[in-house]
Amino acid sequence: MTNPIIEVSHLYFSYNGAPVLSDVSLSIREKEFVAFIGPNGGGKTTLIKLLLGILKPDCGTIKIMGQPPAKVAHRIGYVPQDVSINKSFPISVMDVVLMGRLQFHRWSRLSKKDGIAAKNALESLEMLKFQNRKIDDLSGGQRERVFIARALATDPDILFLDEPTANIDSQGRTDLYLLLKELNKTKTIFVVSHDTMVLSSYVTSVACVNKDVHYHDAAEITEEMMDMGYHCPVEIIAHGIPHRILKTHGDK
Amino acid sequence: MIEALQFEFMRNAVIAGFFASLICGVIGSFVVVNRLVFLAGGIAHAAFGGIGIALFFGVPYMLGTLGFSLLAALIMTAVVLKNKSRADTFIGILWAVGMATGIILLDLTPGYNVNLISYLFGSILAVPTSDIWWMLGLSFFTIVSTGFFYRDLLAISYDDEFAKLRGVPVNLIYFLFIGLIAVSIVILIRVVGLILVIALLTIPPYIAEKYSRSLSKMMILSTILAGVFNLSGLWLAYTYNLTSGATIILVAAAAFFISMIFDMFFLKKHPELT
Repeated sequence: MTNPIIEVSHLYFSYNGAPVLSDVSLSIREKEFVAFIGPNGGGKTTLIKLLLGILKPDCGTIKIMGQPPAKVAHRIGYVPQDVSINKSFPISVMDVVLMGRLQFHRWSRLSKKDGIAAKNALESLEMLKFQNRKIDDLSGGQRERVFIARALATDPDILFLDEPTANIDSQGRTDLYLLLKELNKTKTIFVVSHDTMVLSSYVTSVACVNKDVHYHDAAEITEEMMDMGYHCPVEIIAHGIPHRILKTHGDK
Repeated sequence: MIEALQFEFMRNAVIAGFFASLICGVIGSFVVVNRLVFLAGGIAHAAFGGIGIALFFGVPYMLGTLGFSLLAALIMTAVVLKNKSRADTFIGILWAVGMATGIILLDLTPGYNVNLISYLFGSILAVPTSDIWWMLGLSFFTIVSTGFFYRDLLAISYDDEFAKLRGVPVNLIYFLFIGLIAVSIVILIRVVGLILVIALLTIPPYIAEKYSRSLSKMMILSTILAGVFNLSGLWLAYTYNLTSGATIILVAAAAFFISMIFDMFFLKKHPELT
């Protein structure tokens, strides 16, 4: 039994007086591959930002590797939801990825080692050939890969991806999940996604986030969870037939 | 133009133009990519209050203006960091208060009828050699600090959330950088006037942005563009006996419109060139 890498207890967060998350308690072991599912506005992104230390909780505690988030932020890789921020900014793909090599509390001069790490991260996402391109010239899916490469360049212990597949086609999604599965051998991974049917064949556990969090320590998404997560019955469709990825449930 | 260089005032004008281009290219690029043009304009106009203070109390120009501008810049930065979406109103107020303070103090300054136009449009043809040394020092300081903090500045400009996550002291760097803008503006007003400062801080970087793949290239290209505008404006002003600051602005503005038309008709047909 490994120690929990993330421990959240009785976490409350509200935005302008409106409660977003209430009484969230969560304990996640090392090397889990956790899917966050839930409706838009359910608090998935907020929860990630709280775990990263970007937002501060109203009350409750968050411990990551036994420490408050701000202390270990440099060991966390983060792929934000919106990869179109500052789209027309004159910055090359390489410079974006090198941002991931900025060191915690060290002035920023980069060494050769940082360049190599950035190149390796780009290579693993098949984006190395675009390294000198301007970020603005890339498609949404390519930009997404660059941001994932930036997160990987930090060589994190924990990786958060907020809807990484929103702009990526189905082949790209499969490739990305295979890569994440490989990375999962050494890292704890959190992914926010609506690809519930694809997800369940890769993840090890699921958290339904909708004001509160229900954590399921198993890689299955049941209709009951979908009801809870989305607060309305959702038909689970398993297309791409060859393997059926969802457990069947009893007839009604 | 070449024979004009035998005059010291002309040599000083060319050197001042060179340093102004360098500072504007580097600092202006940051101003444009961070969408801080309004804030830079606010500091430049608030600096006018500092000019009034310097003349009224008889303190040296550099001291009074620099102190006042840095104070205005600090207040503006604090407001921007606290509430980005409403900062423009506050900057607008400081902008006006600075100018009004300057005018009233000049009214009250006994026996001194200052030429306001020279502070608005500068007097690049009347730059004393002592100011050239100020500019040399400032350019050196600006380039060195920008080089040292380049990666941090780039990170907070592009994605401050991620920068914070990586441990970059975002607020500190932000204050430092806006302080650099204020210092640049003060020195440049003496030479090129506060209206030309804003024109030089914005037009060359804006044109350069579209043709640059990285921020450092944008800085180099906008420095070159600012240099070309300065020199050709100076030459036109000298040849046709026009106000130098206003001529430089119009040259820069003409280039700005030409680049816009070029983009509209040419780049649209050849998107691969960008």
